[in-house]
Amino acid sequence: MVKPPAISARSVSFYYGEFQALRDINLEIAKDEITALIGPSGCGKSTFLKLLNRMNDFVPGARLSGEIIIGGVNVYGPQADPVEIRRKVGMVFQKPNPFPKSIYDNICYGPRLVGVKKKSALDEVVEKALKAAALWDDVKDKLNKSAFELSGGQQQRVCIARALALEPDILLMDEPTSALDPIATAKVEEWIKQSKLSIVIVTHNMQQAARISHGTAFFYMGELIEFAPTLTLFTSPKESRTENYITGRFG
Amino acid sequence: MLLGYSPKARKNREWLALLALKLVAYVALIILALMIFYIVFHGFKAINFDFLTKFPSDFMRKGGILPAILGTLYLAAGSMVVSLPLGFGAAIYLTDYAKPGPLVSIIRLGVANLAAVPSVVFGLFGLALFVVGFGFGRSLLSGCLTLGLLTLPTVTAAAEEALRQTPQSFREAALALGANRWQAIRQVVLPAALPGMLTGAILALGRAAGETAPIILTAAAAFSPALPDSLFNEVMSLPTHIFNMATNGAFIEQTRVRQFGTALVLMALVLGLSLVAIVIRAKLIRRRKW
Repeated sequence: MVKPPAISARSVSFYYGEFQALRDINLEIAKDEITALIGPSGCGKSTFLKLLNRMNDFVPGARLSGEIIIGGVNVYGPQADPVEIRRKVGMVFQKPNPFPKSIYDNICYGPRLVGVKKKSALDEVVEKALKAAALWDDVKDKLNKSAFELSGGQQQRVCIARALALEPDILLMDEPTSALDPIATAKVEEWIKQSKLSIVIVTHNMQQAARISHGTAFFYMGELIEFAPTLTLFTSPKESRTENYITGRFG
Repeated sequence: MLLGYSPKARKNREWLALLALKLVAYVALIILALMIFYIVFHGFKAINFDFLTKFPSDFMRKGGILPAILGTLYLAAGSMVVSLPLGFGAAIYLTDYAKPGPLVSIIRLGVANLAAVPSVVFGLFGLALFVVGFGFGRSLLSGCLTLGLLTLPTVTAAAEEALRQTPQSFREAALALGANRWQAIRQVVLPAALPGMLTGAILALGRAAGETAPIILTAAAAFSPALPDSLFNEVMSLPTHIFNMATNGAFIEQTRVRQFGTALVLMALVLGLSLVAIVIRAKLIRRRKW
């Protein structure tokens, strides 16, 4: 039996003012799998990612047509509540961006927003989220220290844990390792591979896409050129533009 | 060797340029030091316990300046009650809510221009609006409102700067975790920006404490026999007390030492406030890692 997709994008076009950033994107992202979005700078892959949890809402002059269905609901439909969507669809950013608060308070931020107040419940959330992000052993003795005292890689895993604390259905990652050194990158990748979540990851790094993802989508100039299982896309791409990109002829 | 090139002449020129720059820098410092020295030298003789805790008497020749000290503290604090909510609110609106456009540009331009308006103009405005227009009379209330407007551009500009320096990524992170915009601002952005916002506020407080012209027009009494017990009382203040003793008192020469003494107290107050601002800023920079 085929699982229903985690995300379906149907004829999605997106504009920044006059500029059309995405053209008629149709894409079904599988549940519980890792999907990589690749393509040269400015191809629209990050724009597409940010549409999935409505983080482009704040961009002045932004406009969308088409539908994005998550959990049976069009996230741009009239009934959709962007705040609820962001709770179900977590996000990890390019640069680690912990709050200038303690590790504990960073992780608790989301749960506190939805009204979790009891210390014991919060303690449990923090431990679970940090364990899920493979950071618990590193920080369990300094939960009240500022998150800024951690290394870049640990900070990024605090951000992952912070997103996980809300138990999202989907996690979006926008080049999550581009600001990290190779060792920290390996740790984050390892975490991604073993997680059981539906993850959509934007990456500049084709080797990374090949290493960790089940499916890969190649974006170019605002269009989705090709979407296939990662192995297929990298070994026998159908489109010449995909082949040119993955073989390093441009981008 | 190049024709006419002399390493020695080059070195001499450099030495001269450096000396000139150093002198210019030191001149500013020397002027400040001279001014402080002058005021301390002439004023310290007036400072004693009675001077700080008693009312003036015998045409300002005896007693102390307690009502002026308290009046200045009330005026400065009251002006912050006016300008902090307005200034912080405006700054939050401008950085986090307003869509960039002509309106925002006009507001920013207005704030910048307000900062350049001479304080006596604020005084006249306060006189027309608060003292006469609203019928508050010459009072602590009118003075606080006028000084509040006067310090508003400083407070707003400093708060805006502090908010702008708070990384966009903090806001993004909070929004992505399901915060609405106000929650993101209140819980993440404001705590991060607050020290910077307060530094600006304290500098504005120092400015409010030292202003003279607006106070003369809206709040100041030359002499009051009691401390103010209502917002509608006139108050004495340090700068206007100096002004009165030095220009239209009955015994200008005989109160000279007290004039300097009052100036010394005012200067200590304002420098003290600036020092607090500097300490906060230093702490902030040490703690900040973004």
